[in-house]
Amino acid sequence: MLVTALRHPGRLIGLILGMVLSLSALADSRTLDTAYGQVKVEGQPKRVVALYEGAVDAAVAVGVKPVAALATRGTTGLARYMDEHAKGVAIVGTARELNLEAIVAQRPDLILASPQMPKAQYDLLSSVAPTVVPKTNVYEPDNWKSESRLFAQALGQAAKMDELIEAVENRAAQLAEKIKAEYSDEERTAYVVRWMPQGPMVMSSQLLTAGLLEMLGLQVNDDGLVKEGRPHSDPLSLENLGRIDSDWLFLATLNEEGQAALEAAKKSPAFARMKVVERNRVIPVDGQYWSSATGPIAAQKILDDVEAALLP
Amino acid sequence: MQSHSSSIQPPGRPVTAQAPAGTWLIRLPANGSLLLDKRALFAVLSLSVLLLGAVVLALCLGTTNYSPAEVIEALLGGGNPMTAFILNELRLPRVVAGILSGAGFALAGCLMQTLARNRLATPGIIGIDNGATAFAIASVVGLVTSLAPPEMALIGAATATALAFGLAGGAGTRGYRFIIAGIGIGALFGAFTQLMLARAHIDVANQAYPWTVGSLNARPENAVLYMAIGLAVGIVAALALARALKVLRFSEPVALGLGVRVNACRYLSLVLAVTLTALAVAVAGPVGLVGLIGPEIARHLSSTRTVPLASSALAGALVMVLADTVGRMMLSPVEVPVGIVTAIVGGPYLLWILLVSPRNTP
Amino acid sequence: MTDTHLTPSGSRRLLPIMAAALVLLGLVCFISLLIGAGNIGPADALAVLLGQGSDDARFVVGELRLPRTLVGVVVGATLAISGALLQAVTRNPLAEPGLLGVSAGSAFAVALALALGASAATLKVSVAQIGALLGCLCALGAARLRGVGDDPVRLVLAGAALSSLLIALTSLLLLIDLGTADEIRFWIVGSVAGRSLDHLSEIFPSVLLAGVITVLIARPLAALALGERVAVGLGHRPGLVRLLAVLSVALLVGGATAVAGPIAFVGLVVPFVARSLAGPDIRRTLWLCLPLGPLVVVIADILSRVLVQPSELPLGVLTAMIGAPVLVAVVRARRLPTL
Repeated sequence: MLVTALRHPGRLIGLILGMVLSLSALADSRTLDTAYGQVKVEGQPKRVVALYEGAVDAAVAVGVKPVAALATRGTTGLARYMDEHAKGVAIVGTARELNLEAIVAQRPDLILASPQMPKAQYDLLSSVAPTVVPKTNVYEPDNWKSESRLFAQALGQAAKMDELIEAVENRAAQLAEKIKAEYSDEERTAYVVRWMPQGPMVMSSQLLTAGLLEMLGLQVNDDGLVKEGRPHSDPLSLENLGRIDSDWLFLATLNEEGQAALEAAKKSPAFARMKVVERNRVIPVDGQYWSSATGPIAAQKILDDVEAALLP
Repeated sequence: MQSHSSSIQPPGRPVTAQAPAGTWLIRLPANGSLLLDKRALFAVLSLSVLLLGAVVLALCLGTTNYSPAEVIEALLGGGNPMTAFILNELRLPRVVAGILSGAGFALAGCLMQTLARNRLATPGIIGIDNGATAFAIASVVGLVTSLAPPEMALIGAATATALAFGLAGGAGTRGYRFIIAGIGIGALFGAFTQLMLARAHIDVANQAYPWTVGSLNARPENAVLYMAIGLAVGIVAALALARALKVLRFSEPVALGLGVRVNACRYLSLVLAVTLTALAVAVAGPVGLVGLIGPEIARHLSSTRTVPLASSALAGALVMVLADTVGRMMLSPVEVPVGIVTAIVGGPYLLWILLVSPRNTP
Repeated sequence: MTDTHLTPSGSRRLLPIMAAALVLLGLVCFISLLIGAGNIGPADALAVLLGQGSDDARFVVGELRLPRTLVGVVVGATLAISGALLQAVTRNPLAEPGLLGVSAGSAFAVALALALGASAATLKVSVAQIGALLGCLCALGAARLRGVGDDPVRLVLAGAALSSLLIALTSLLLLIDLGTADEIRFWIVGSVAGRSLDHLSEIFPSVLLAGVITVLIARPLAALALGERVAVGLGHRPGLVRLLAVLSVALLVGGATAVAGPIAFVGLVVPFVARSLAGPDIRRTLWLCLPLGPLVVVIADILSRVLVQPSELPLGVLTAMIGAPVLVAVVRARRLPTL
């Protein structure tokens, strides 16, 4: 058959085209491995409802703007760092109370949900549209990669997500080189905390942030303070601040602007005493994506923050 | 007692009593009779009508409003598939869950108030709500992985009651000690809940939220089923106890003298109240205020001669369904859980009723 | 007052009990300075108290443990006294200061402030205080509606209804603003960690005022326990006394909540225990509350430092864990004292 095809280029082209088309038709229907079993998604979803910050991040990153998402600030706001990408997105509830009717009214053809979604809600939503609930439960630094890949796979953009993740890794590697050049080995330990008046909460070294920081060559600790499976520690006693007093301290804040938060924390004498404060190596960062967001855009923003702080 | 006797008694026939004012005497075959309080009947009927109206409202209103005609069409299986889905899978189960849990809370509240002779009594005072919430949240947060939150809520309610009983030293259901033990248990569980929520990841704490305020959003099906069964049994049992409860409102010697088995009646009512509350919390979370508002409305409408059990159940269902509808419409597209709505409206309403009514002796 | 045959039967002499309580309190405070969640052990702390000790140790004992012990003492005393006052005024031994809508008021004020952009770390103490006072005033106002007067039962009802309304509004606020919800769940469990003497000085004026008021109405309150007519006959004005008592409660609880967050149970359990030791006279109860309240709070604080080293447990959890069994034990062991 090949011989005849070679003699007739038109047929060859047709054959190749046919093979390609049938292959992509196969690729058009994807089966995903989710927390509630195998989910099949067909075609290119156009109306995507994202019920999870990581899903919004992943979707926007691969170029698919969701038609609806959950409000995380006030009744109308998505996370601050997503604001520019998220104009015109309809709100269908908050992370605490989903408005199922509003979700259905959006006529979604794909629903991307949070790993914590309870079964009752999942059952209802999956009868409306394929619902993707990531499997991840234990906190691991690379969770965000598998979650984002899953969402991208659902959106039919798995390849693009791979590129984005690779871009993050490459950039991290580059920055790591520069950081290693700039700071010696002993100067690169860091802690990520949220400051509360009764003491700092140490973020787990198993989160996205810590994973990234490790890639950047910083040694992130939680000093055994964070128990397994918990995202952060109990407030560390003010008497024990010596345990987080290392080379760098990333101070995650939720409500205030970074500098103001730093000033507020300095009012506590225990905080002001720390060597890392005296050496001015405390870096205020936006808690919204440093401590709770997951996704490629968040990852890039974290890299931005670290670059600005350590390599001005 | 004889308000107006009219007919001349034929010789040899026993004197037939006339029904007291405000009641209907229904003669049954074999010389039986049934005495129905007119006002209580009126209350039951009017509450039923109101409930029906509330149900219609709840089904029609929402993120998209439908006309009653569309609602009926969808319920019967026809109409636009999206409308059918929203009505059959989303709104109808919510309404059903609301009716059942509201009736459960209110009935339990009425029983408890009769037992405690205090209009402010609910099963919540012995720590049931807090116990059920704490256990349910333990499941959500992941401390317990083998049981789902509704089952855990039931276990929590049972544990709280058992603890309150045990710690009170079995001093009887009206004992001061029982209430105090209940307050202690309730506070302990409450503190435990706060601790769990403070330690959890914010995403998980968000999932636990409906269990802390009471919500009808996507309730698990088996919980609703248990509630339905429990309520059916509960209503029958309560009505059977109605007579004894009526008499129990007098002092103990009077009740005993009238042949009522006081202790048995008390224990049974308490068990019933606790079970109904536990089941209702497993469905809707802690919406304890319905247990105060429902019976209060029923008392307003019904007569003082009876213990308004059926009216309380209906009033509780009404309050729950209305509150849920308001919660959905208030800040659309964000839904306000039913527990918050009942508290926002219920607090002042309760206050108004209690301040306005004369000779208030809670 | 010191002759045994003049004291009513069933209640013992006050002085020995007070002395014992004060000694115990002193001991507990001393222990509080010695123990902590960190590396400065009792030996090092002792060295500091004797004038020597490393820089670190001096900082920990002087700047961390001492202030929080003092704050604990003040918070304990204010909560206990406010509880005793409220229970006397409402003739209800189960009344808790939270019933007046003060805790709910301060929680709402804090939530509102956080939602409007403040941070939990820098929140001014006065915010919670104002919230508490407003809550109490609303309850008072509601109770006075329709010429109801100041029947204490209605006051409690008004307060309870107002509390549930405020809690619901707070929940609504937290529903809408998830950032606030995230921050407030740490404030709401209550803690004296990280509180400094500055915070204490901010609430000092209102606590002082409340103290003065309490001293002034102690005697009328005792007379009120004999019945309204007797009190009027003795020349007191029940309405005014009740009003002042409620105001005092609001100031005290407002101050305590403003500094340490809502601490449950101290206002309920401590007066209960004090009453069972002191008898029905409100003055004796108030005296006993002074050392007993701080005792409970400081012990709870010590435990909070010790149980989950190197972190700390929130204070509100521990006061509930201590208070609940104590409450139950008291109820089972003794004959319940009347008001």
